[in-house]
Amino acid sequence: MNTEDLITKLSADVPKVRRHAVGWRLAIGLLLGALVASAAVVSMLGIRPDLHVAMRGFAFWIKWTYTISLSAVALAVTAQLARPDSGSVRWVWLLAVPVTLLAGAGVIELVRTPPAKWLAMWLGHSWMVCPWIVLGLAMPIFIGLLWSFRRLAPTRLRAAGAAAGLSAGAFAATVYCVHCPEVSAIFVLTWYSLGILLAASLGALLGPRLLRW
Amino acid sequence: MKANEDELRQLMISGLDGNAADHAALLRHLVPLLRGFYRRRANGSEDDIEDLVQETLIAVHTRRASYDRDRLFTAWLFAVARYKMIDHFRRNRRLQPIEGLEEILIVEGFEDASGARLDVDDLLETLPVKQARMIRATRIEGMSVAEAATADGIGESDVKISVHRGLKTLMARFQGGGR
Repeated sequence: MNTEDLITKLSADVPKVRRHAVGWRLAIGLLLGALVASAAVVSMLGIRPDLHVAMRGFAFWIKWTYTISLSAVALAVTAQLARPDSGSVRWVWLLAVPVTLLAGAGVIELVRTPPAKWLAMWLGHSWMVCPWIVLGLAMPIFIGLLWSFRRLAPTRLRAAGAAAGLSAGAFAATVYCVHCPEVSAIFVLTWYSLGILLAASLGALLGPRLLRW
Repeated sequence: MKANEDELRQLMISGLDGNAADHAALLRHLVPLLRGFYRRRANGSEDDIEDLVQETLIAVHTRRASYDRDRLFTAWLFAVARYKMIDHFRRNRRLQPIEGLEEILIVEGFEDASGARLDVDDLLETLPVKQARMIRATRIEGMSVAEAATADGIGESDVKISVHRGLKTLMARFQGGGR
């Protein structure tokens, strides 16, 4: 095709783009995916029956603070990597803050618990399924983010894939909290984080293929 | 039809606000810019260059949401162009990258982004005279290494080493605290 014809064709369709379009698009993809993940939790796993009681408790909020803050940082990093001219990626180190705080809570918890109960506390009732459920719930969110990326322009595809996977995993963990009855900080630190890491690794693996444009 | 950063950015922002005529004008301004960009960086037939230009125009159009109005437009544009070129190399190895591509990209990308030769002059002044002269000759005025060596009456390896050291110093400064 002639370049001039191409330009004419492209200029036939010039929709408005709002300010902060990158953030909006990522937020929409994330929320659409999260909606599907929430529906899956409600229909297949069920909301924990004592949720309204748990929401008044400390353990539940530790979990949510951890997963929500991870999601926020991961999403900020994803937004940076969604631009071609992102340069150096800032704020990745902030991921260490919630992890460190939760580890601190875990240490306090261990000190207060007799060593005989440590293993039971660490493994909880669901350590074998928890990471896999988080990974599974991350899938629809990751797909939502892939949709977001269709109009965005990442140039470091592996890093962008990893960041999207991390966001999806952390948000999936946030959704999973409404089902999961585990209360211990070291449980969350290990098994939730493992699920989130699995999602990030999968994103890094698939990024170069799925995010090409 | 040489357009500068401010004009291009105005057109881009107007296009983002939904003005189709300005969007078309922007794309037309980009054609010669992109042709120059790719010709300097790839040894390929004119058809290959034109393919790349068209792919980049399509990308500028479909990925325009990724441009942040508060940032430099040319930096965004050349980041898109660079990505398209690397993608093109990977897909069909018809285009051959020019030797030392990375260095050229980093130095010229910076030049394009800041859109100011004055800055380049200032930066080159901070280097030893010979390094600055060799960078200017081979990277800005477009002489080959052999030509620069003859012009200055020194060896070719001397030219290469001067350019390399000079660029390295500049890059270190730029990637370090200079931002």
